[in-house]
Amino acid sequence: MKGQHLGEFEEFTLLAVRALGDNTYAVPIQQYVEKVTARTVSIGAIYAALARLEEKGFLRSTMSEAVAQRGGKSKRVYTVTPTGLRMARDLHRMRERIWNAIAEGGRS
Amino acid sequence: VTRLPRPARWLLRMSPVPRETRAEVQADLHELFIKRRSDRGAAHAHWRLYHDVLSLWTQPRPATPDATSASVFALVRDAGADLRYAARLFGRQPAILLLTIVGLSLGLGIATAAFSIMNAATLRGEGPRDPDRAPVILRTTDRSMSTTWTYDEFLRLRDGSTRMQVEAVLTDVAPVRPTDGTTAADADAPSTALGLVSGGFFAATGARMLLGRPFEAADEQHADSPPVVVSFVFWTTALNRDPQAVGRRIRVGRAAGWIVGVAERGFSVPSNRRLWIPLTAYGAVYGPPLHLRQGYGGQVKRTPDMGVQVFGRLAPGVPISEAEAQLSGVAATLSGDSSGLGAEASPTAADSALRVRLDPHAGLGRMSSTERLAIVVPVFAVIGLVLLLACANVATVLIATAITRAREMGVRAALGASRWRIIRQLVTESLALGAVAAGIGLMFAVWAIPMIGTMIEAPAEADLAPDLNVYLFLGIVTLVSGVAAGLAPAWHGRGVDLLTPLTGEARQDRVAPKRLRSMLVMTQAAVSVLLIVMATLFVRATFRAAAIDVGFEPAGLYAVAPGLGDPFNSDGADIRNFWARAIPELQTVPGIASLSLTELTPFGGLVKTSVPRDAPGRLIWFKRTGAGYFETLGLRTLAGRTFTRDEVRSRAPVALISQSLARAYWQDRSPLGQVLPTEIPVPQLQPSFAPVRPVVIGVVADAITERLHERNTFAVYEPLHPASEHFAQLLIRVSPGATGVIDQAGKRLRSIDPQANVRIASVAARLQQEEGRPRMLATLSGVVGIVAIVLCVIGLYGLTASVVGQRAREMAVRAAIGADRGDLLRLLMWDSLRPVALGIVVGAAAAVLVSRAVLTAVLFGVSPQDPIAFGSAAVILLAVATVGVLVPTRRASAVDAASVLRQS
Repeated sequence: MKGQHLGEFEEFTLLAVRALGDNTYAVPIQQYVEKVTARTVSIGAIYAALARLEEKGFLRSTMSEAVAQRGGKSKRVYTVTPTGLRMARDLHRMRERIWNAIAEGGRS
Repeated sequence: VTRLPRPARWLLRMSPVPRETRAEVQADLHELFIKRRSDRGAAHAHWRLYHDVLSLWTQPRPATPDATSASVFALVRDAGADLRYAARLFGRQPAILLLTIVGLSLGLGIATAAFSIMNAATLRGEGPRDPDRAPVILRTTDRSMSTTWTYDEFLRLRDGSTRMQVEAVLTDVAPVRPTDGTTAADADAPSTALGLVSGGFFAATGARMLLGRPFEAADEQHADSPPVVVSFVFWTTALNRDPQAVGRRIRVGRAAGWIVGVAERGFSVPSNRRLWIPLTAYGAVYGPPLHLRQGYGGQVKRTPDMGVQVFGRLAPGVPISEAEAQLSGVAATLSGDSSGLGAEASPTAADSALRVRLDPHAGLGRMSSTERLAIVVPVFAVIGLVLLLACANVATVLIATAITRAREMGVRAALGASRWRIIRQLVTESLALGAVAAGIGLMFAVWAIPMIGTMIEAPAEADLAPDLNVYLFLGIVTLVSGVAAGLAPAWHGRGVDLLTPLTGEARQDRVAPKRLRSMLVMTQAAVSVLLIVMATLFVRATFRAAAIDVGFEPAGLYAVAPGLGDPFNSDGADIRNFWARAIPELQTVPGIASLSLTELTPFGGLVKTSVPRDAPGRLIWFKRTGAGYFETLGLRTLAGRTFTRDEVRSRAPVALISQSLARAYWQDRSPLGQVLPTEIPVPQLQPSFAPVRPVVIGVVADAITERLHERNTFAVYEPLHPASEHFAQLLIRVSPGATGVIDQAGKRLRSIDPQANVRIASVAARLQQEEGRPRMLATLSGVVGIVAIVLCVIGLYGLTASVVGQRAREMAVRAAIGADRGDLLRLLMWDSLRPVALGIVVGAAAAVLVSRAVLTAVLFGVSPQDPIAFGSAAVILLAVATVGVLVPTRRASAVDAASVLRQS
């Protein structure tokens, strides 16, 4: 288990994998992130984020079987690991606490 | 759209995306491209596509360690596996293994032999250590410069020098034999190159000792039982590397010495000395001193009035100019009271002030860099040529096998091997081959070096055995040629889809690039032609040289050298006395028909020439001879007469000229009584005499007595004055049929003066040696040329066999649509022989350049563009190449079209 920080983009990517259901691959992830964030996302950024997440142990990948519509090329499919899931939840909870604190402070 | 746009694919290939994931990325990009195009149009899809491709650079993935990491352990493990695989592979194809190893080991062997001889000749650390600080001290006056000082002068220089250590050396030969110290001097002990040196010689040259100690100053005192330092070569050959050598007794000439040290390998200063002995022992070695006299410093020196070479080692930090000035001061005091040398005895030279010049480049037998270059460049050219040939051959054979191994490579690639991994395997294979070949090549070289040494007439003292330099050279060359030969098939197969051969289809539409293959064949053909042309030229030159009429009968002609020291070092009285007694003595020997003194003996290596002003390309030989020279040599007098004894005695200004010279300057008129034309400068031995142009009194037949290849017969003969007889040698003509004459003559001459180291040389033997030069070159280049042809044909055969095998289907189709056997044969032959034909042209062009530039001197009048040589080279190569191509081609074209087509 390596460095445990999660950047914003990495968090989006991680959540996208979870949201798309496991065993998804780079193309749908890119589409999803682009749609949700409403900004242009390059495929290279997605690859990099996926690779970093995998390295940190939040994602796991396997090669899928060859699919006919991709010209017979196989693809790497990603699944969120339990660690990844816990990390995402922790992040979410942390944000909630902060928002709660803000709400109690009556600033909004 | 079935594929990504080409620029995107191209960019993707350049991107940092690892090869293994590239296909996946491409599929992703393609999917996105299609989706976007259908959603938002082609323009948007393209824009986003290139944006994505570029993002692969700007957003690199973190490196993930994978299984094929290039750690050292993995490399070694892989190499082991590759080696085992290579062993199995070559075990299945012993013929190819054999061919490759034979080719490579021949190439490496020849290259190693050439290198080690050159190494011994020029590169090895012959000279003193740090030679720029060990200059030679030249004896300089206003009008002369000499390397020779008298021993007295040296002693004074040594005592007077404050800025540098001054040492002296004298080179000579003497019979040497290790003994137990009781037996007397052996007359037939091998003559050995000797350095007579002053006490600090080894300190000044910086020589290191393998055993024992170098000389010290005190060693100069032991003149009667002198200490001896032997060279590594002497220790190896004469003492069998005796570890107890120090302390052994050794006979050097007449002296009974003992060994105090063995110099380290490679030290043989100056010029191939075998052992060193103190200068003070000169008398002990060579018998009673010639001049026992009261020398400088009041001590009686038992040394002859000998000339020594003086050099020194500058004291640390002293610039060369400072030492030169200081020593010149010492030298200036010498000129007055010194006895001087013979040449300096004339009153004009002695009174000009004596100075010294320090010359670090004159060196102690050290070659100048230009001389070195003149040897190194051609040798390296030959080495390069031979290696190129061997490499090209091995590469051809490996490519031939690689074509048949395409399927295997496909399987490897399919199982996940990267291209780099496959290349590594190929290089490992060829390096393994190279290592085996290097071993065989080294054995070959060790066996061939002494032979080549004999061929090139290397001095017997030279240490030709391979040393560290040679092993290093062999190692590097093996590595480079192994890698190059291994990379050739890899380069040849570049750009070819490794997977295609697996599918068994598309064999015709992707013909492997042929350019490299053709280039290799062409190179081999070119080198072969070059070598064959040279061999043929040399063979023809050999016949031409043997057929040259030198104008006299060399058999029965002998040249006698007195061996009484250097005539320039003394006034030569002893040599003149020797001749005065020797000539009447020899005239009584039965079987000697005639004899005469002459300054220059035929093919003796010394020449005196002058270049006429009207024809700078012409050389005119000048010879001073005794009266009987023409009779002894057997030259007919065509007009006029030869010298009379009176003319010889009185140094009359008369001359004989050769027939060619007479014809060149007088055409049909008679030259008799005419003065030698002013266009011909006459070399003056004594500058003090006013130049007198001699009068022609006779014309003799042409004779070639100097350089066979120049076939130059312009000669001027002048009488040899008795006062100059110490420069002369004696020419003896033995009557035909007489036996034992020369032994008899040698015995008598030695009895006249036991100190004389009389040497009698056969002129016929010298001539044979002169004639043998092209023969030896012919042998060398012929052997290499034949090897070249064999290699070329082997490579061509292997290559053609595999290529026609590949094209069997094509041939079958051609046959099926109506081509007959002749058509197929012609097609295949032309395809295979085209590079050979090209190579012949290139090689012939190179041969013209080479023979023009460097070989004219040894061709004895054979034209460098000799049509026979070029024609025969082309014919020979084409013939063997045709056979090499024809055999596999015939087999291929005879194949049954139907069965081939059914198979595939």
